[in-house]
Amino acid sequence: MAEQAQGAGAVPLSAVVADAANGVVLALAGGGDPYALSRLLRQGDAMASAAIRVLGADALAPYALDHRAVPGGENDEAVVREALAAYPPGPDASAVSVWTYRGLVEASHAFLPGGADRFPQAPRAASAWVTDDPWPKLSHRVSQLAALALPGVAQDLADRLTARTDDLARGFVRAVRRRDWLQAAGLGRWLARLPDVPPTLGLDTGLAFVRQMSDGDPRVALHVVAARQFYGRGG
Amino acid sequence: MIMDRTSHVETAALSAEVEGLLDSAEPQGVFRDTRECEGALLLALLLLGSPPTPRPKTDPKAR
Repeated sequence: MAEQAQGAGAVPLSAVVADAANGVVLALAGGGDPYALSRLLRQGDAMASAAIRVLGADALAPYALDHRAVPGGENDEAVVREALAAYPPGPDASAVSVWTYRGLVEASHAFLPGGADRFPQAPRAASAWVTDDPWPKLSHRVSQLAALALPGVAQDLADRLTARTDDLARGFVRAVRRRDWLQAAGLGRWLARLPDVPPTLGLDTGLAFVRQMSDGDPRVALHVVAARQFYGRGG
Repeated sequence: MIMDRTSHVETAALSAEVEGLLDSAEPQGVFRDTRECEGALLLALLLLGSPPTPRPKTDPKAR
C-alpha cells in the first residue's frame, strides 16, 4: 500500500496514514487476517516509516489485544526501529511531537518482543501544560495525543489528566459542536480511559455519533474502535 | 563535487509533513457559549422593550 503511494508520487502522506489506520481499525475490530504491522507498512519505505511515526503507538495497538492478534515479530521490530530512527523529535520539537515519539517507544517496549534494550529510551516530555493550559487548548493537545490512550502506555499522563476530566468533557462537547470529529474522537478515547467521566456527558452515544458524522474518516474510526475495544465505551 | 541531495530534500519534506500531521493547528471556528448568548439576548430584549428616552416637549403654540 505504502509502496504504491510512494511510486505514484502524488499520494500525500495523509492518505498513506489513512490507509494504515484502516488496517489497524480492521485488526482491532477482529476482521481480516491476523495483524502484522510489517505487512501493512513495509521496511525500507520512507513513506511507511513516516506513517508509523504519525500513527505512533496506534501502529502497535492490535498487539495490545492479546487474544486477537499474534505477537509482533522481528520484522515489526525492524519497521518500528526504522521509523524511530528516521523521525526523532528535534531540539525544538513541539510537546506533541515528543509525546507521540515517547508513546511509540513505550508501545514498542510493551508490545514487541525485542525488549527495551533494542529500542531507544523514551525521551523526557514536558508536562506542565497538563495543569497550565486553559481547557480549549488542553482539549486540542490531548486529542492530538489520542494514540497514547492505550493500556500500558502513558500511565503517568493518564493519572495527571484525571484531575482535568471535567475540562476534557467540556472539550468533547465543544469539538462536537464545532463538528471537529477528529478532535472529538481523540478526546472521547481519552475520556473512555479516565475513571470519573460525568455520566451526563453521554460519552457512549457521543462516540457513536462522532463516528457516524465523520463520513468514514479512518483516524476517527480508529479512536472510536480503540475506545470500545480497550475501555468498553462507545457502544 | 556532484552530490545527490534529492533524498535529503525528500526526507526533510517528509519530516515537515510528519510534524504537520502530528501537531496540526485547530481548524478555525466560532464557539459560542450558551450562557453568553443567553445574556446577550436578554440584554437586547431589555433594550428593545425599554421606554423611549424622555425628551423635552415642544409646544407648537409657543412658536
